Amino acid sequence: MAGSHSDPLAHPEVRMGGALRYIAGFISTVALMGAALIVTMRHDMAYQSYVELVGGLAFLALLSQAVLYYGLDISKAQIWKSVSLILTVPLFIITVGLTVWMFQSLDHRTMLITTTFQQPTLLQ
Amino acid sequence: MHLQFPGPWSPLLGRLTLNAIPYTNPILQGTFVGAAVIALLVVGSVLYFKKVGYFWREWLTSVDHKKIGVMYIVIGLVMLFRGFVDGLMMRTQQVMANGPHASGVLGSMHGFLPPYHFDQVYSAHGTIMILFAATPILTGFQNIVVPLQIGARDMAFPYMNALSLWLTTAGAVLVMISLFVGDFSAAGWVGLIPLTELPYSPGVGVDYWMWAIQISSIGTTLNAINMIVTIVKMRAPGMTWFRLPIFSWTTLSTNIIGLTAFPVLGVALALLGADRYLGTHFFTAGMGGNLMLYTNLFWIWGHPEVYFLILPVFGILSEVVPTFCEKPLFGYVTMVAATFAIAGVSWLVWLHHFFTMGAGPDINGFFSIATMLVGIPTGVKVFNWAFTMYRARITYTVPMMWAMFGLFLLLAGGLTGMMLAIPAVNYTVHDSVFVIAHFHCMVLLVVAAAFAGVTYWFPKLFGFKLSEAWGKVFFWLFSSGTVVVFAAMFALGFQGETRRLDWTYNTAWMPMLLVEEFGMLLYCLSLAAFAIMLVVSIRDRAKNRAGADPWGTSRTLEWLTPSPVPFYNFAMTPQVNTRDELAWRRKHGLENAKPDHYEAIHMPSNSGLPVIIGGLSAVWGFAMIWRIWWLAAISILAIIVCVIIRSFDKNEGYHLQPGEIEAMERDLATGMITSEQPDRSHNNAIHAEAH
Amino acid sequence: MAHQAAPGANTRLFHPGYEGHSQISARTLGFWLYMLSDALLFTALFAAYAVLDTPMNAAGGPIASQIVNPVEGFWQTIIILASVTSYSLATVAMKNGNRSGTMLGIVVALVLGAAFVAFGFNDLASLAAQGNGMDRSGYLSAYFVLILTHALHMIFGALWMLVMLVQIPRYGFNEMVVARLLNLRMFWQFQATVWVCVYIYVYMIGA
Repeated sequence: MAGSHSDPLAHPEVRMGGALRYIAGFISTVALMGAALIVTMRHDMAYQSYVELVGGLAFLALLSQAVLYYGLDISKAQIWKSVSLILTVPLFIITVGLTVWMFQSLDHRTMLITTTFQQPTLLQ
Repeated sequence: MHLQFPGPWSPLLGRLTLNAIPYTNPILQGTFVGAAVIALLVVGSVLYFKKVGYFWREWLTSVDHKKIGVMYIVIGLVMLFRGFVDGLMMRTQQVMANGPHASGVLGSMHGFLPPYHFDQVYSAHGTIMILFAATPILTGFQNIVVPLQIGARDMAFPYMNALSLWLTTAGAVLVMISLFVGDFSAAGWVGLIPLTELPYSPGVGVDYWMWAIQISSIGTTLNAINMIVTIVKMRAPGMTWFRLPIFSWTTLSTNIIGLTAFPVLGVALALLGADRYLGTHFFTAGMGGNLMLYTNLFWIWGHPEVYFLILPVFGILSEVVPTFCEKPLFGYVTMVAATFAIAGVSWLVWLHHFFTMGAGPDINGFFSIATMLVGIPTGVKVFNWAFTMYRARITYTVPMMWAMFGLFLLLAGGLTGMMLAIPAVNYTVHDSVFVIAHFHCMVLLVVAAAFAGVTYWFPKLFGFKLSEAWGKVFFWLFSSGTVVVFAAMFALGFQGETRRLDWTYNTAWMPMLLVEEFGMLLYCLSLAAFAIMLVVSIRDRAKNRAGADPWGTSRTLEWLTPSPVPFYNFAMTPQVNTRDELAWRRKHGLENAKPDHYEAIHMPSNSGLPVIIGGLSAVWGFAMIWRIWWLAAISILAIIVCVIIRSFDKNEGYHLQPGEIEAMERDLATGMITSEQPDRSHNNAIHAEAH
Repeated sequence: MAHQAAPGANTRLFHPGYEGHSQISARTLGFWLYMLSDALLFTALFAAYAVLDTPMNAAGGPIASQIVNPVEGFWQTIIILASVTSYSLATVAMKNGNRSGTMLGIVVALVLGAAFVAFGFNDLASLAAQGNGMDRSGYLSAYFVLILTHALHMIFGALWMLVMLVQIPRYGFNEMVVARLLNLRMFWQFQATVWVCVYIYVYMIGA
């Protein structure tokens, strides 16, 4: 199509980039992962609440990347990326969540899991 | 490799030996002779009429969305025929091999197919019909129609569009090669696990199945990206979301499914491939594998795939029904909402394919209810079509008849689907031919809509209509064949016939098996009618010349272009003023309005790289199947090099000048065909070859 | 339909001078959609990992806590994030039209990315040397394939960077080069996003 003669460096996705934004993305992710590492190394939480806490930290890290790295927002340049991501996120949850639920139940009903010795995993 | 498989392996040819060619099998001998004769006829006539250059320039290297769409549909129809022959063989085998005293011919104990051959036939039938017939045909329609409907000149990525086509073709080619070199999978189109694992399927059949699907589904994913970006970014000015024709809406939703579901299939097959090639234990019966994990991953793709097929079909029905009812579609907004509701729920139902796994009442209940929820938006759609037809002036053209038959199949398939959604019923009829009859109602709905689409859009592309009389003969034979075969199959399901039987042990099934075979006869006759329809229509094409709007009552933007559509689609980008733009223009006498001047049009150049990459992918797949490692390494490197070469290609297309457009538009108005591009559009490589 | 107006003097049937969409926007949206597709691929691998992450599926071999080291994983996390930051800063240099700055950022990203992949391969190789390769158990199959798939993406990205290091001096910041650099930015950042999921799920929850 026509209209390709404008300066490519003037494109909003080029203009979006900024040193502060990327350094903030680096620091926030490292800090959140560091916090998760400390929680993990202390080994003093119940499994359930540990998973929730670490999962929450991961969610925050992903959120900060969505905003700081990918620059997702509702501007004209980025709206379709944001919309498509929001439509896809439920599929991530459905795929992993329902699979885990399904096999958790299946393993219990077929008595594959013995709860005597090992540490827990998501399937228990 | 440390993996154990029987037979020799050499560094040069991998597992390939002369024994891999089944030259002793009389059925395959006949098939080979037939295929060779057809291939010689096609190649010979191309050479005789000196059309090699034409095919290369106008088709193989084309990046025109309409030609790519036509090639998709041609491949789909060829594979549909192949899949039909498989079906015919299965039906005939089951009639011949009924009861303990059934005799056998051609070395079989019963019937004419030994079990191992029969297993390959049903595996090939399913794989081909879903992935290499239905998918390319529907993708073809989307390619042809969507850019025209939204008022665009082309797809967002014309080059990638060609690449998608040739990757799909590479998969289809591998399936066809498996007929004559080696064998095909004998483990069902779903890949029954752990039967597909190396110890139980040590041959190359599963590898053919796996790599063919893997390569073609990369093409499908790329096409999904292309379609979504086209619809989001390339709508003509004024084409707001709620003016978008329903077919384009369904294309959008179906490609969202394609984009998100196919990677899961890719993972399921890649993990199986890791088991077979690298000795991992994802799905093995021992060493910590989990059989049901494969089934789970396969159906996470498999069920959305069902809606990936059915949504564009709903789109075709939504175009055909209003056209021949001379009314706007009833409930446009609810139609759009229902489309997306179906696409959304499609991700929540996959366990209903394996209720009998025994995941427990909570889980079966959840998936059962989710499955039944699909009935609500589907019901909305059926009522919308019914209300469109209510008190309408219906013209019973061939496309309309296919559409009405499609509604009948949707009802039969949908209601039996509701029965199957009840786990208690499902446990009883699981793996019986009742299930087969149910989903064949749905996939034959796809076929019905495909033929509706073929007859409906054919004049747009080729400039003449298909013969109505022979179209009706074809319709009645095909639809009555469908009813006869699958009504009998529902009954056999209730009589307890399970699926995939190479020997139908119960003599009480014989009457219904005979009825099914009679239905197959009707199908065979319909095939002849289809061939006659094509011949007669081409012979009488001068009489059936079509104008811009051959049906006279169509409503959407694609019918604003001349028939056949020139390669640049619209001489001037249209301004869209309302939903059903053409119907509105016709109502106000504006349908023949022409722009007062023309502007230069930027067109993409043809490229030979997509077809080369497609060919290399087929070579790569073949090398992987036969474990010819040097060839696999070379072909994958060649593919990467081709992609890099393309990224260095500065060829940015060419501009069609206003004078040229004006001349071509004048020719089109007088009925001359101007679908070929002017000579200078060919890139330098082709010029060099021609000189 | 109610909203259908009759044509008037101002009704336009054609749109002369229609500019169409921006090529760069179409390409970045297309690539973004590919990445969502790729994300579903990783999702399926995570689902497989979740199912196979049980002592039963370890088949007598090591379980997660015996093979992952969250502290080492943290160093890997820092390396990959530094690589992503370096590439992202390269695109900031591109914004300012600075070719050599862009190429410097890409080279640093490439070196750090190579270090990350080498780190990962070293881990897997030493596991395999102990007899705990991907053919040892269902669990190890899932672990190896998840890590290798991510590494394969990184290698692909590195190849792409090499191509861009040739194209930037050759073509300058033209439309195609800019679109590719923007897509590669998304792709490289996406590897960090996937790694965050791998790190939390495999290295932390498994530990």
